[in-house]
Amino acid sequence: MASVRAASRLLSKRVLSKSKAVPAAAVQGSRNFHFSIYGKKNNAKVSDDISTQYPVVDHEFDAVVVGAGGAGLRAAFGLSEAGFNTACITKLFPTRSHTVAAQGGINAALGNMEEDDWRWHFYDTVKGSDWLGDQDAIHYMTEQAPAAVVELENFGMPFSRTDDGKIYQRAFGGQSLKYGKGGQAHRCCCVADRTGHSLLHTLYGRSLRYDTSYFVEYFALDLLMENGECKGVIALCMEDGSIHRFRAQNTVIATGGYGRTYFSCTSAHTSTGDGNAMVTRAGLPCQDLEFVQFHPTGIYGAGCLITEGCRGEGGILINSEGERFMERYAPNAKDLASRDVVSRSMTIEIREGRGVGPEKDHVYLQLHHLPPQQLATRLPGISETAMIFAGVDVTKEPIPVLPTVHYNMGGVPTNYKGQAITHTNGEDKVVPGLYACGEAACASVHGANRLGANSLLDLVVFGRACALTIAEEHKPGESLSPLKSSAGEESVANLDKLRFANGSLRTSEIRLNMQKTMQAHAAVFRTGSVLKEGCEKMDVIYKSMDDIKTFDRGIVWNTDLVETLELQNLMLNAVQTINSAEQRKESRGAHAREDFKDRVDEHDYSKPVQGQETKPFEQHWRKHTMSYVDPKTGKVTLQYRPVIDTSLDEQNCAAVPPAIRSY
Amino acid sequence: MFRRLMMMKITLMKCDNQQQHTFIQGCSRATSGAVMDKVPLKKAKTPKGRFDNPDDKTKDVLEKFPGDVNPLTKEKGGPRGPEPTRYGDWERKGRCVDF
Repeated sequence: MASVRAASRLLSKRVLSKSKAVPAAAVQGSRNFHFSIYGKKNNAKVSDDISTQYPVVDHEFDAVVVGAGGAGLRAAFGLSEAGFNTACITKLFPTRSHTVAAQGGINAALGNMEEDDWRWHFYDTVKGSDWLGDQDAIHYMTEQAPAAVVELENFGMPFSRTDDGKIYQRAFGGQSLKYGKGGQAHRCCCVADRTGHSLLHTLYGRSLRYDTSYFVEYFALDLLMENGECKGVIALCMEDGSIHRFRAQNTVIATGGYGRTYFSCTSAHTSTGDGNAMVTRAGLPCQDLEFVQFHPTGIYGAGCLITEGCRGEGGILINSEGERFMERYAPNAKDLASRDVVSRSMTIEIREGRGVGPEKDHVYLQLHHLPPQQLATRLPGISETAMIFAGVDVTKEPIPVLPTVHYNMGGVPTNYKGQAITHTNGEDKVVPGLYACGEAACASVHGANRLGANSLLDLVVFGRACALTIAEEHKPGESLSPLKSSAGEESVANLDKLRFANGSLRTSEIRLNMQKTMQAHAAVFRTGSVLKEGCEKMDVIYKSMDDIKTFDRGIVWNTDLVETLELQNLMLNAVQTINSAEQRKESRGAHAREDFKDRVDEHDYSKPVQGQETKPFEQHWRKHTMSYVDPKTGKVTLQYRPVIDTSLDEQNCAAVPPAIRSY
Repeated sequence: MFRRLMMMKITLMKCDNQQQHTFIQGCSRATSGAVMDKVPLKKAKTPKGRFDNPDDKTKDVLEKFPGDVNPLTKEKGGPRGPEPTRYGDWERKGRCVDF
């Protein structure tokens, strides 16, 4: 007994002496592991300023991050590291965010496989964006890329290595050396075949070192805006139905894309464009929403993509008549034609009534004419994939496929520092207090078309950029600007209205209508008449939201209510997408129109620029679309903003003048 | 009655794995039920029981490289199976991954 006491005294002495050596800032108070708000200085107050029926809790923080995917986590712990009292609001547990599905790699000009320069990466990205990307943001991203990858590796991300221990880089789409003249560049760093998963887990693990307060399974409803300044976020706690208002000097939106507006997409069911919708309801614009990337062969229903290698190995696309229809559209290349040709041909076949299935809305990818042994050696695992996701035996039946959405280039417009902007009187104006990063933002590094392996880079670079900008311009513990006590009333009223909605159409029916309309009218095949018809149909569907019926009247874990809120968000994204696409009368990058097949720039870049007249801003299309929606009527207004053609430092990295994009 | 006693003894002694075989064999001889001789006693799916036959594991289609080093490219810790970027996109098990 005495020895135990002596031992405990000794141990406590050791602990005390250890803590003396540790700097004061690192000694944390009692930190609860389960992210309850009671672990920190308890300044959450319950108020009944906006509602007497819903318990409303007010919180005050220095910064709030909405979304905990790759970009959100990086921003959240970047801010915590800088000393800000940060809250991270997320509707999913951080490691369940969609970043986890990005299995590929990150591009960075580290130069481990051959001589490399970030300026060549800059050139490739500008060219890939079809000169719609803002060159200062692209400069920032590609210059920071090597440092960002090294930082991730220092956080513990287990990249694959070469023999001498450097990060292994492989060749991947669209990357070249010497401004396109030096052949294929090897820039893509990966972690076996689970880079996104590993990135998310590394960032999450790192973020637990810092003092960020996580509010997991809180659905962010709206931004709290006053006088054009963003002063925080109002959110619904799904667990107990309470409303929480988070007041903060700085709000970062990192909510991801909105793939779920389309019937066939690779995104999770939770990719509903919440951030874009919150910004739209606040009266701010969204940028370039018409640029949506499609992949030709996604499995019908499941949304997983089938590799182009299937067609490369001899697979063929079949319509309802059993005809190999690609022979008509691309007589020489047939099934090996480029992605956009294949996607468009498939869509035309479906539109003309030769689709397969009960609704005639997809086509078949046939592989059973190939010897099964060859399939198993060249494409190992495909029979497993086809059985799990399509329920077919790939050696006997064809796989149902249709063009599938997998990335949204558009989002909340920001400058290269991550600050949200609007465009008034011909100038970019920063929205005070609002930032955005990740797929939800459009700093426009991807422009009209995103290169593979650049999106994971985009997440970490701009997540960090938001944190750095906030740290530069604000100090931790700054007093908050006053906010009306009734801020957030409309959001609660909307919530209440939806909770007791008693119309005639279910949420799932309206959502399916919207998804089918978008898939049929605003997908790969875009022409004036089809888009106009789609705009009118979407208008009707938007108005049908007034007739919605929900069933769950409870407030605790009401998924019916949350799905309906998500549907509202999806609707706002969908109407902007289809209206912007209808207005943009050219083909650029991922937005390809049958009736306007060429790019319309201020000069015709296929000929020498000298001696050509510059087209005025209203007559050419090398500009960003800024779309506003009136949430009550669903009417979309469009404005345009010029592309930034200068890099951050012309001496160090010259901007790339526009040219015809050909690979 | 005697048989019932022996059955009880079997259930009581089942927890002792090592002696199980010898004891049960002894029992079946003692009870002399022809049926009991033909049907071999199966081990319950206890965790211990499941790992007894290591060959029963399902084979994964993508095999790990020896020492986790890709023999062609000398990449350590890289993706298993054939090169994912060989068709211009990132392919794994027939699925194309977008990133």
